[in-house]
This record gives sequence, structure tokens and C-alpha cells, in this order.
Amino acid sequence: MSQNDSLIDKPENAVATVKVIKAGFKAIRFLADLGIHEGEKIRIVKNDIGPVIVEVKGTRVAIGRGLAGKIEV
Amino acid sequence: MPKQCPHCGKRSRFHRHRSRAMKPKLGLTNETKYSKRYGRGFKKDFNDHSIEHKIAFLGNPNVGKSSLFNILSGSHVHVGNWPGKTVEKKEGHFILSDEYFSLVDLPGAYSLSARSEEELVTRHFIVDEQPDLICVIADATRLERTLFIALQAMELTNNVAIIINMKDIAEKECINLDVGLLEEKLGVPVLYVCAYEDESIIRIKKFIYDSLHTKKYTFTPAIMMYSQKIEYMIQNISIQIADRKLLSEYPTRWVAFRILEGDRIVKDELAKEYDLADIENKIEKLAKEEQFDPAVEISKRKYGALHQIVYSAVSGYEDFKETTSDRIDKTLLHKSWGYLILIVIFAAFFLITFYASSPIITGIDWVFVQFSSWVLTSLESINSPAFLNSLLVNGVIAGIAAVLLFLPIIAIFYALIAILEDSGYLARSAYLMDKVMGKFGMQGSAFLSLIMGFGCNVAGVMATRTIKNKRERTTMIIANSFIPCAARLGVIAFLTGIFFQPWLAAIIMLLLYGVSILLVLLTGLIFKLFYESDDPLPLILELPEYRRPRFRSVMNLTWERTGIFLKKAGTFIFVASLVIWFLSNVPYVKPTENTVLLYVGMSPVIVTKVSIAEFLGRGLEAITIPLFGFSWKMVVPLIFGIPAKEVIISALSILYPGGITKVLWTIPQVISFLLFQLTYAPCFATIAVIKSETKSWKLTAVGFFYPLIVTSILTIIVFQIFSAIM
Repeated sequence: MSQNDSLIDKPENAVATVKVIKAGFKAIRFLADLGIHEGEKIRIVKNDIGPVIVEVKGTRVAIGRGLAGKIEV
Repeated sequence: MPKQCPHCGKRSRFHRHRSRAMKPKLGLTNETKYSKRYGRGFKKDFNDHSIEHKIAFLGNPNVGKSSLFNILSGSHVHVGNWPGKTVEKKEGHFILSDEYFSLVDLPGAYSLSARSEEELVTRHFIVDEQPDLICVIADATRLERTLFIALQAMELTNNVAIIINMKDIAEKECINLDVGLLEEKLGVPVLYVCAYEDESIIRIKKFIYDSLHTKKYTFTPAIMMYSQKIEYMIQNISIQIADRKLLSEYPTRWVAFRILEGDRIVKDELAKEYDLADIENKIEKLAKEEQFDPAVEISKRKYGALHQIVYSAVSGYEDFKETTSDRIDKTLLHKSWGYLILIVIFAAFFLITFYASSPIITGIDWVFVQFSSWVLTSLESINSPAFLNSLLVNGVIAGIAAVLLFLPIIAIFYALIAILEDSGYLARSAYLMDKVMGKFGMQGSAFLSLIMGFGCNVAGVMATRTIKNKRERTTMIIANSFIPCAARLGVIAFLTGIFFQPWLAAIIMLLLYGVSILLVLLTGLIFKLFYESDDPLPLILELPEYRRPRFRSVMNLTWERTGIFLKKAGTFIFVASLVIWFLSNVPYVKPTENTVLLYVGMSPVIVTKVSIAEFLGRGLEAITIPLFGFSWKMVVPLIFGIPAKEVIISALSILYPGGITKVLWTIPQVISFLLFQLTYAPCFATIAVIKSETKSWKLTAVGFFYPLIVTSILTIIVFQIFSAIM
């Protein structure tokens, strides 16, 4: 795992820990309310084209591809 | 048998007595009597002989909150809007052992941070109305996420009770819940139910009753402790803001946290009487030192605490396991199959809405025609004046018919939406379309509105309810008028059939559809420039598990939303029909051979051979002939077409008694007419829903004039080009 892997570099079904989210503060806060923040373990459910779907705390959240690229794991 | 009220003899026991106070009995004052009997939560309003409790339902989207609300309220549900907001407000009540429990279903929200309109409404209600009990609805299969908002509510008030729903599904997945332990750790009452079991209703009612009345439950919400730095900061802020007016209403700790999180509303309120610059500097310094966003840090801590609580009380969670929903999504969200299935589902949606409703509409139409002719003959038989007859039959009855004729489309549309929503597919369709719509600066959820608009703009505008972003919703509401509905398709087919070869007609029809889609997309871009969005967030969308739609909740949703249409838009359409009748019938002229009847919806408009319409048309000719190429006989149908586009064809055939032939209009004229009628104005029913959906006269005016202006400009350009080259 290289230093700057983001969500979109991860294969489907991979489990990863969020390291840092380099996005706007509104997006970061919304994600935090949904349980996606630094140190949280998430599973990539779908990652081919379009938004990335991740599993976090038993729920599925679709994250726009642009934003997903800013979530480093 | 309803018992009689002991005070006034009314048959119902539950109504308000405004003037009569209940007399104290046995020497006890009301207050001591009630507090002895009921403990916490009683109301001081002793003019009521039934005690009223205010209960609010709070929770994430997709936790079955609305189903619980509906089963508790039964038929006593009132749906409206929050004042000044486009967010739905649902109120209901139930009565248990002589007491009145009023229920409010707060909109689904992930947090109380007041970022979206839903969250804002939710927080305002909790803060300002101070309900006696806030029931947080959680989902047993994803407790951590759904209890997050409960922790936030617990910081704000003590009166929180938690109802954990989806017991059936959790038990199927072998999830075991220790309710007692959860209660102990959270410090508030907890109930574990399944919304669809019959015994749940009485269990929940009893739970709410007991929470308010007995000492069976304690309300000592667990106080979240944060890291030393944050706690120190909170202390700091608390001391600085102490004794401010705001703090007499809200808990100090809560206000301090809002300031730390940078909550603009709370800060603005405090800034009125206090300079916050010092505090802000300190917060900034802290954020820089620790390298975190305080709001994120606080959420993170809450989730951390929840994780511990949940995992000590619940067993059986299997993290990161592929579920049935995931497997279904492999197909439904597939990069190529997914879109194919989406097209099939939406095509079916579209066809069912308009084809299933058409026989019902024909039926309603038939009933009204029979009824109005019966009324007319009975009125004539008693020699009632012709003016009055016309008012009753062509004004009032036709106005009611105009509303009811829309009902089948609306009801079927909402039933299908409810099925898509309940099953979990609606969120998926937004997911799938996000990429496609994103290219045009729109979100995936705008897709449904776009599709429905091709059938009927009323349905299209109503479909914007699924769009969460306010700017995008407004854009789609306004842009819907550019989508040619089925009625305009009729005009296109009629005219192109006369003037062009079939192959050319098909190409022109496709071109016209292309133009309208371009106009929609253009509107999206224009609105992006002028309308500042409150949340330019990238897509972050929860995809709920697939669930079987429940008949009962589908029916409830359909019933509620159709009711809103009837109340809000229906009134407008009815009044508009009456106005049209007055305009075309006053002064009243008895129909003779020299007049013709034009039907606007159901209400006939009399056009005398030398009528106001012709007068108006001839007057406009001076402008319309050089600019658009419209003679007065082309202008008049367009004027009558404003309330309903169906009228255009019938008006044309009246004004051209010999039928329209190729020699009457030149090709540039035909093109110009087709283009103009395509998008020039929304029908009255569409205007009515624009008003009821946006709650703004300004936007309604924009909805009417914006298409008119844009279409005029476009048509003038196209006509001038065509007449120059032909």
C-alpha cells in the first residue's frame, strides 16, 4: 500500500482504513456525520465507473468519484 | 359508542375547553393532583380536560420512522408543509387512557447540524417547540449510524426515548440486542420493536405513556466526554458566554458545542449581544494546534463512544460481509446492465402512469359530462336563468372536473414513486444517473423529473421532490415547462402530419425534442450562474438495503401526497377555471349560430365571430407577423392554449373551418408555430403545482415568464433565418 492510495485505487471488497480526507470542509463534515472519518475502517463495495460505494457501519454510501479520489486510505 | 364529555355534554371526550377550567377536587390544586398522578411531562394548560403531550419522531432516513408514525396515528394524519419551507410536515395523534398525544414526524436527517433544509427544520422544532418527548427511531441492523442523531438530541434535551425498529430483520440476521444494557449505557428509555407486528402499536403507545408518566424509566442521558483539549475549550466558551439571553433557553454545554463546531445560526444569534472574535480566535488556534476540524472531531468521538456502547450490548453484527442487497446491486448497478434495467424500469413507470390512468380519466370525464347535462336539463326545466346555468355547469362543475381529471395521473404516479422509494431503487437510480446528468451540471435525482415531464409537466414538477439539493430542485421545477408534455406532442403530430412527408415529420419531431432538452440543460447552466447554491456538495448518498415495499406504507404515501395536490394545486386550478369562465362569459351572450364553443379543459369558452379574441389577435398581428410570422388566426389558438395545450388543435380547427392545408401557412410559419407552442408557457395546472411546490409567487412568475421570453427570442431568431433562406 503506497502512501497516497485513494478510495478509487482500491479493488472491490477491499477493507481499508481512512487516513485523511482532503476535501472541502462541508463535505468532510457531512462524511463525518455518516461515520466516514479518519481512522474508520470501510469496505469498498463497488468501484468500477461512476461513484464509489463503500460500506461503513453496516450501511452503504455512494460517494461521487471526484470526492472519493480525495479520500486517502 | 363515544362517551359524553362530563363538562359540556359533547359526544366526543377529546376536545378543547377554552373557557372552562377544571375544578379542583378533593382539596388538591390541579397542579399537585396532576403531578402526583402523572409525574413528569404534564401540561400546565388546565383548560384542557384531556392532557396534551407533544411527541416528536426523529431519525435517519430509511429507518421506518414514517411507518411507525402512521401506525400510531392511524387515520389521524395531517400532512402539510413547514411554514415557509418546502419540507413536508406530518402531524398526527393518538389517545391513550384519556390523554392526547400529538405526534410530529420530523423529516429524516442524519444529524442535527442544520446543514440541509430538513436538518434545519428538525432542529428548529426540537429547540423552539420543546416537545415533551423526542422518540428517536433507530434501525437494529445499523445501530451505530442510526443512534448518532440520538446522541446529538441527548445533548440538547433530557426527554429522549429510543425506539429500535426492524426487530424482524435483525432476528433473521441473528443479531441479539440487550435492551436493558443499552438503556443503562445511554441513560434513556429504549424499546425494541418491529413496526409491522400488530402488538407493536400498543407496545409503543404504552412505552411513550410510561416514559412520560411512570418512574419505570430514567432520563439521565449519558454525557459525552471529549478529549481534554476540547473539554477545556468548552469550559472556556461556557464561561465567556455565560449569562447571555440565549442561555436561558438552551443548555450551556450545547451552545458551547455549537460555537465550537462553527454553527452559523447559533453564532449569529449570540453575536447580536456579544463579540465572538476572541472565542473564534481561540478555536482557530486549537484547530491549528491539533490539526483537526472541531466538528469532525466531535462527530468522531460520538461515533467512538457509540461503537463501545453498541458492541457491548449487541452481538451478531457481521462487518464487511456481502449482503443480499450487495449481490442484487451487482446486477442492478452494473456498468452496462444497470442502465438497461434502469431504462426498462423507467419506461414501465412512464407507461403505467399514463396508460393506466387514461381509462380512469375517460371514465371521470364521462361521468362529468353526464352529470353536467343532467344538471343543465334539470335547471332548464325549472326555468332558471341561462347565465346561472352556465355558471354552475360550465364554471363550477367544469372547474371541479378540471381538478379531478388530473387525479388519476397524480395518484398512480405517487403510488409508483412510493414503491420505488420503499424498495430502495429510487436511490439507486439517482446513483446510476449521477454520471450522465453530472455532465450537464445536474444531479442524478433530476432524471425522474425530466422523464415524467414528457408525460405531464405536473407530474414532472412533483417528481422534483426526490431532489434533495434546493437549487437543482428549483431549476428542474422551472425547466419542466420546456419539456413537451403529451398534449404538445399532439399538436406537433397534428401539424407536421399536414405539412411534411412522414420521414421529414419524424425528423422535425426529433429536432423539436432535441431543442427542448437543450433548453432544459441551458436552464440548468443559467440557474447555476444566477442562483447561489447553499450546498454545492458532491454526491454523498446512502443506498438503503432492498426491502419489499409494504402495501400499507405505499397506500399511506399515495394518499397523503395526493391529498396535498388536491388541497394546494386543486384549489388553484378550480379558481383558475372559474376565472376563465368569467372572462369569456361576462358580459353573458347566449350561444347562437354566430358563436362557436371552444373547450378549455371542460369549460367552454365562447368565441363570437367578432369576439374579443379576434380583436386581440388582430391587434397583436402588427408585432407577430414581422417577428414570428403569426397571423391573428395563429395567435388566438396560442392565447387559448396558455391554460391547457390541448385547446390549440380545437381552436385551430374552429378558426380554419375548411381545415388547415399546405397553402395556408408557409414553411417558415409552420416551423415558427411548432417551435413557439413547444415551450412558450406552462399550463395552469403546472403553474399551480409550481406555486404549491416552491411556495413562492416570485418563482411562479419566473416559471411563467421565463419560458415565454426564452421561447419568443428563440422563435424570432429561427423564423428570421428561415424566412431569409426560403
